[in-house]
Parts: sequence; structure tokens; C-alpha cells
Amino acid sequence: MKKVNISTLISFIFLLCMTLIWIFPLAWSLFTSFKDEIDIQTFGFTMLPIHWVIANYQDVLFNNTSAPVAKWFMNSMIISVTQTILVLVVVSMAAYGYTRLRFKGRDWLFSFLLATMMFPAVVNLIPLYKIVDTLGWVNSYWAAIVPGAAAVFNVFLVRQFMIGIPIELDESARIDGANDFQIYTKVTLPLIKPVLTVVALFTFTSSWNDFLWPSIVFNDIDKMPITPGLQLLQGMYVTDIGHAMAAAIIAIVPTFILYLFTQRYFLQSMSLSSGVKG
Amino acid sequence: MIFIGPHLLLFALFFLIPIFFGVYISFTNWDLVNTPEFVGLDNYKDILLNKESTFYTQLHTGLGNTFKFVAFTVPACIVIPLLLAAALHVKPKGMKIFQAIFYLPVLFSISAVMIIWSMMFNVSFGPINHYFTSSPNWLGTQPYAWIALVVVTVWWGIGGNMIIYQAALNGVSKEYYEAASLDGAGRLQKFFHITLPSIKNQLLFTIVITTIAQFNIYGQALMLTKGGPSSSTTVLLMYIQQNAFGSGQSIAGIASAMAVILGLCIMAVSVIQFFLLRERK
Repeated sequence: MKKVNISTLISFIFLLCMTLIWIFPLAWSLFTSFKDEIDIQTFGFTMLPIHWVIANYQDVLFNNTSAPVAKWFMNSMIISVTQTILVLVVVSMAAYGYTRLRFKGRDWLFSFLLATMMFPAVVNLIPLYKIVDTLGWVNSYWAAIVPGAAAVFNVFLVRQFMIGIPIELDESARIDGANDFQIYTKVTLPLIKPVLTVVALFTFTSSWNDFLWPSIVFNDIDKMPITPGLQLLQGMYVTDIGHAMAAAIIAIVPTFILYLFTQRYFLQSMSLSSGVKG
Repeated sequence: MIFIGPHLLLFALFFLIPIFFGVYISFTNWDLVNTPEFVGLDNYKDILLNKESTFYTQLHTGLGNTFKFVAFTVPACIVIPLLLAAALHVKPKGMKIFQAIFYLPVLFSISAVMIIWSMMFNVSFGPINHYFTSSPNWLGTQPYAWIALVVVTVWWGIGGNMIIYQAALNGVSKEYYEAASLDGAGRLQKFFHITLPSIKNQLLFTIVITTIAQFNIYGQALMLTKGGPSSSTTVLLMYIQQNAFGSGQSIAGIASAMAVILGLCIMAVSVIQFFLLRERK
């Protein structure tokens, strides 16, 4: 019994120290976003603000036309929500096709898709820009929304889940006279809700956090999402720490709130994806 | 066909075609605007062999720094989450909260995280120099710039691996440990002879995906150290981006050749991942 207690104690102390390291940058940046810029310059490092102010937030949100954070935030919202919906529709339909419909070369086609996941995305960056440019999508939301829906991994994840659902349910619906589309909407979609939730959460966060691609396809400051926007902002607020921190906090709030309410899904999905893959 | 059609179309247009096009233009003198002209292996000769060329220097510096980054961060991104998972495995008080906090940074965008950390390392106002007695210029001198990049990367990205290890540890049968205890095995012996072999698959999987992820290093070096001091942390993706999309005329052909070389490095690792994935299918 005693031995167990010692290892629990050691673990607890180790975790506590690590947690402090993990929390410190977040806590400090949150507090700093409420500090008066003059106090920061005068007093140097302090943990808590000497005077609590919300001026930093007001300034970065509404008073800077060369870094319009409020506008960027809305752009990101529109892009991330639209992409999530698009991915859910496209991916669930494809997964239905690869598990429930019988056509020649189906499994061969799917294996081919899986094999292409080996191709490194870095090679398609430059041509992708050209394609998006040809479509007239540079500086438009579509550039950030549509290409991401081409990913194979989500189809793989949903397909794995659907394989586990007994096909008898489809068959009994078919006997009742349902066609493929009705089976897909009435039978399949309700059953695959758990895996679709996971796909939705991951699509939203990765869309929100995407950095390299949107920084290439957006150069119009008013159209930009917030993640590449912050890089421009970093150059403008080199010495205004409070302002920079306020912008960073605004950018992380949506995914943080999402995580608060859906933590269970995020953690489950990690072990889910390693379960199928590892 | 109506069901798989939309995905196949998107897949072809935004993934498959660009990949092949990307390889093709690495053999051309493309500038993103005019029709690409086939130049054979000239781009590769230039970046791989022509010591006089700026692009030769770029490739060697960029790829070298990318490899360094992989070598520095991958071990840390395996060992630290493994230790955390092992500590969480004994289920101490507050385990759920600890777990949630270590996972949290994964959900934040790289640009927000880099803004926060570049201020953390700030020489005059940053908390790090406040607590250390010596005050190095973290982001502007070596080896501090590399240390900063590794610290930030570990802080940002270990959550996923930690969760995978937690699930793996839960799957190890308790009977093995009991049998080993009867044989008088110590704690470390148990760890190396039972725990590690039992979670071998997950370890391999995380090493592969972490390596692939770190090869794509871009944001940290761009926003934290800005490639410096004197190009010592400029990674290949930064040169690729500059050459293709930077100010001035685009040299997309050269940039594509660089991307293909980086892609081949990543692909060597991905092949292992593909076989892991197939095994479980």
C-alpha cells in the first residue's frame, strides 16, 4: 500500500510542476492584455496588472484599420463554419458510398485514396495557388473553405466507423421501400453522429488555426482570417505588449470555449484515431 | 456515384492534380504567370550542385535547419508526453484537470502562440528573463534561439501524443506487472521490459506523425526567431514561400524543386505510416 502512495505523490508533484509551466504563459498573457501600456513600460515585468484596463481590447478590435481584428474574427467565423458544414456533407456522403454502395473497383479506389495520403502536401502548395487563382478565388473566402474538403483522412475515419454499423438496418429500410438517399439521410446519418461530431470539431479548429495557406491566398487586409492576420499585427505592435496580447487572447477564445464544452470528444477522438492507425 | 462524386472531384482538383503539377513545374522555369517552359534538371542542378548559386545556399541552409529542428524537437515531443502520460496513469488527484491543461495549447493557432511566446522571451519585459539571473537575448543569439524554438514547440504540441500514450497505457494488461512483481522486477525493469514493448505500436505511430509534422516547420521560425540570428533558424519552407510568393518576381520553378526535395524527405517517413495504417485496416 505504501509503495502506491509514494508513486502517486511523485506523479502528483511532477504533474503540478509541469502544469505551472503550461499555465504560466496563458495566465501571464491574459493578465497582460488588461495592463495599461504605460505601466508595462514603466514597471517592467509584473504578473498582475497595476491598473486594470480594457483599452487594449477596444483598440485592437475597433481602432486599427491596418489590423482590423474584429473583421478578421468574423472572416474566420464564416470560413470555419462553412468549411465544417461542407466537410460534413461531402465526407459523410463519400463514406456512405465506400461502405454501402456496390460498384466495380470500389475497394481498389479507396486503397488508392489511402495511398495518396503519403504524398506530402508541401509539393501541391504552389500549383494549388495557381488553381485557386484561376478560379478567381484569391482574396475570397472560397480559397480557405473549399480545398480543405479534399482531405482523405476524414473519409477514412467515418468509413471505419460505418463499417461497424450492421448493414441489416439498411436492408430493412430498403425492404420498406427506401432508396439510397433516404437510407443515407434517415438511417445512416443519425447513427454516425458521434464520429461526425469529432470530424466537425477537428475541421473547425484546424480551419480556424490554419496559417500558411491563408497567408498565401489572402493579401487584402479586410478579407483575411485572424490566424494569418496576427502575423501582420505582430509587426505593428512590437513594443505594445498589452495590445499584442489582447489580440492573441481574442484569437484563442473560440477554440478554448469549444474545448470547454466538448472536451470529452476531443480526448476520445485522439485515442480513436490512434486506435485505427497505430 | 452521386455519393462519392463530390469528394472525388474535390480530391482530384485540389489534391491529386496539384501534386503532379507541382512535380512537373519543378522541371520548368515557371514564374506563376507565364506558360512554364521545360528546363529539365536545371533547377535541381542549380540548388543541389551549383555552389555559386544563392538557391544552393538557401537549400542547404534551409534543409539543414529543418533537419536540426526535427532532430531537436521529435525526441522531446515523444519523451515528455510519455512521462506525463505515465504520471497521469497512476490517477493522482486532479488528473482530469492536468490532462485538460496539457492538451489545451494544441487547440491554439500558431500565430497566437508565437505572439505570446515572443513576449515571454522579450529581453526587457518578458517574465523569463525576470526569473533568470542572466539575461540572454533569447531570440537573437544562439544557442538560445534554438532552445526557445524547442521549448515553444513542446509546449504547443505534445497534447495529442500524451492522449495516445494514456490510451496505450490503459491497454497494458495488469497481469504482466503482477507476474513481474512476483519475479522481483523493479520499477525501471518493468517500464523497459513490459511497458515499452506493450505500447510499441503507438510509440512508432507517434514518432512517425510527429516527424512528419515537424518537417513542416514554418510558423515558429517565421514568427519567433524570424529565421535568425543570421539565417541560423531559417527553415526550408520559409525559402519556398519567399521564392514562390515573396515580393519581386516569382521563381516558382526553383521553389517547386525545393518543395519536391522537402517532400521526398517527408515521404520517406510517410511510407512507414502507410504500412502502419494498412496493418490496422
